[in-house]
Formats: sequence, C-alpha cells, structure tokens
Amino acid sequence: MKRKLPALAITLLAGLMIHVSGMAADATESGAAIAKAKETIRDAESKVQLWTTSDILLQDAQNAAAAGDFDLAVALANEAGLHAELAVATAEKEKQVWQKSVPK
Amino acid sequence: MKSLLIACFLFVVTANVYATPEQDRLALREFFTQRFPDLDLNEMINGLYAFDEGAREQWLEMEDFPPYEIAIDKGEEAFNTPFANGKSYADCFENAGIGIRQNYPRFDAGSGEIITLEYAINQCRTDNGEAPLPWLTGQLADISAYMAYTSRGNTMNVVIPDDPRALAAYEAGKEYYYTRRGQLEFACENCHMQSAGMLLRADTLSGMLGQATHWPVYRSKWGEIGTLHKRFMECNAQVRAKPYEAQSQIYRELEYFLSYMSNGMELNGPASRR
Repeated sequence: MKRKLPALAITLLAGLMIHVSGMAADATESGAAIAKAKETIRDAESKVQLWTTSDILLQDAQNAAAAGDFDLAVALANEAGLHAELAVATAEKEKQVWQKSVPK
Repeated sequence: MKSLLIACFLFVVTANVYATPEQDRLALREFFTQRFPDLDLNEMINGLYAFDEGAREQWLEMEDFPPYEIAIDKGEEAFNTPFANGKSYADCFENAGIGIRQNYPRFDAGSGEIITLEYAINQCRTDNGEAPLPWLTGQLADISAYMAYTSRGNTMNVVIPDDPRALAAYEAGKEYYYTRRGQLEFACENCHMQSAGMLLRADTLSGMLGQATHWPVYRSKWGEIGTLHKRFMECNAQVRAKPYEAQSQIYRELEYFLSYMSNGMELNGPASRR
C-alpha cells in the first residue's frame, strides 16, 4: 500500500498538469508573453532591420489582451517574437551572401 | 612558384571582394548593357519610361504641364526668402546654391558624415536659427525641387574622397542595396536589377542606373512632390521591412552609393512618376 501512494500521487499530479496546460491563458500569461515579445523585438531591432509584421502582431496581441482574449494574445505575441527572430536570421544569412549579387 | 600562385590567388580574391566604387559603377553599366543591349543607358534617368513605351507616351504628355512646376515656384520663393537673421539659403551653399544638385550627397570631412541636399538645407536652417523642415514632403521638397531645377542638364558628380570613412559609408550603402530584407526578403537589387523593365503587378520596374538623378519626384500615387527618402521608406514597407527614419545614417549612405552609381548621367530633377 505504501509503495502505491507515490504512484497515485504522481498520476494525479500528471493529470492536473495536463488539465492546467489545456486551460485557457489568463492575463498574467498573456502579459508575460507580450513582455517577452517586446524584449525579443527590442533586441532584434538593435541588431537588424525588423519586419513590419512584428510591430503589427505585437499591437494585435495587446489589443487582444485588452479585449480579454488571452489565448489569442499569447499566440500573437509569440508570433511577433518569432518574426523578430526570423528578421535576425535573414540578416545573418545575408551578411554571408549579399556580395554574390554585386556585378563584377 | 608556389608564392607566385598564392599572390595571384590573393589578387583575384581581393580584386573581387574589394572593388573600388568606380569598378562597381563600370560593372553596373556593363550589367545593364548586357541586359538591355538595344537600350541607350542614358535613357535610364527616366526610370520606368525607359522601358515602357505606352507609359512613356502618357508621361511625355504630362510633361507639357508638369505637376511639379508649382513646387519649383514655391521652392524658389522659399529659397529666396531671407531668414530672421537676414541671411538666406544662398549663404550656405557654394555658387549660392545654384546648379549644384549633381554634387550631392557629399562627404563632409569635418563631421565624417554623408550630407544629402535635404540634410544640407535643414542644416542651413538650424545654423541660422530656423526650425528644421519635415523631411518627406512640403517646403523642404519644394526647395530641393528648385535647386534640382537650377541644376538640370548638369552631370552627376558625386565624389568619394580618399578617406576611409567616406569609403566605409559607400560600402554600407552598397551592402544595404544588395541585402535582402523584410518578410518578403527582397533586396533593392531584386527589383531594380534582376527585374528591371519587368512588370510587378501593373507597374514596370525602373532600373538602378539613373535612380538618383531626378529627385524630388511628384508621384501620382502621392499626389504631391516628395523626397528620395520618402521613396526609400515606401520601398522598405512594400517588402515588409520596417522603414528607418528619413535622413537616418543608413539612408544617407544608401543615397551616397546609389548616386555614385549614376555618376556621369544627366541630372533631370525634379520629375514626375506614376
């Protein structure tokens, strides 16, 4: 019996975690996602030319959060940050290859 | 023998990587000569109208009563209106500001900066206690239009002096021109070299040669005359790259490179475009 209790507790805890992860985002989570996106965008902008989409998506995320749609806010904020990271990736790739386009 | 081969290899590599501005300019002209063997390259100062005969006819008709004429008149009046301290724009420029557009942008050895004509106009104002004008449209573009008009027919003559800072600025502008950017991953080169003369939706794309000879421009889609940096910002936004500020360092460097590429071509600003 004693050996079965931890297993039961683990099962219950796992079930709870699955339940929590499937739950809708709240204001705290969307706030954190937006803050993270802002930091990623700020960092990217200090290095490269951003895509216009990052600012648009971030604004949309903030609007969604203000309207209480926290799931959408988190998704849009994550997308905004991703677009900033992709702008950096493009710039880093281009640093290596832009010279190839110059007529010789 | 081995060291000779290494020397030759290094020469070839460095010659390719570190082309001089003049080598770049000649290579660019050769590129367009190969690309458009039947085209007089001097026609490229007219942008898309060098390629699109139908649009060219409409444009020539429009040039009978050019929409930028009012800007020239307003620019002349503003240019000749003294500042509050009694001085004027003429005091800030060589040859009193007449017939000098072809020399811009220029490298200023004192500050190490690239000075575009619009930058110099606002510098003149602030040096004389006046507030700077907005960069994109309005009186600044009008004054620039007037100064370009007094320079029509002159030959583009942008100088890159023997100063590493000037060369670095040129190289930065060059890198910008050839670097893909924005969500659509387009470089300036993709439209204005690879696709010059081709259609992008309903618009024929202009070529890189002559792109800097005719500013400021009255664009029908703007409904007013605007500066080259307004166009830079628009191009960036069209490929979904977040535009920089007008007259930011990188845009001035881009204009420096772009203008040098048009050296030897006729200055024909201001102009009208679709």
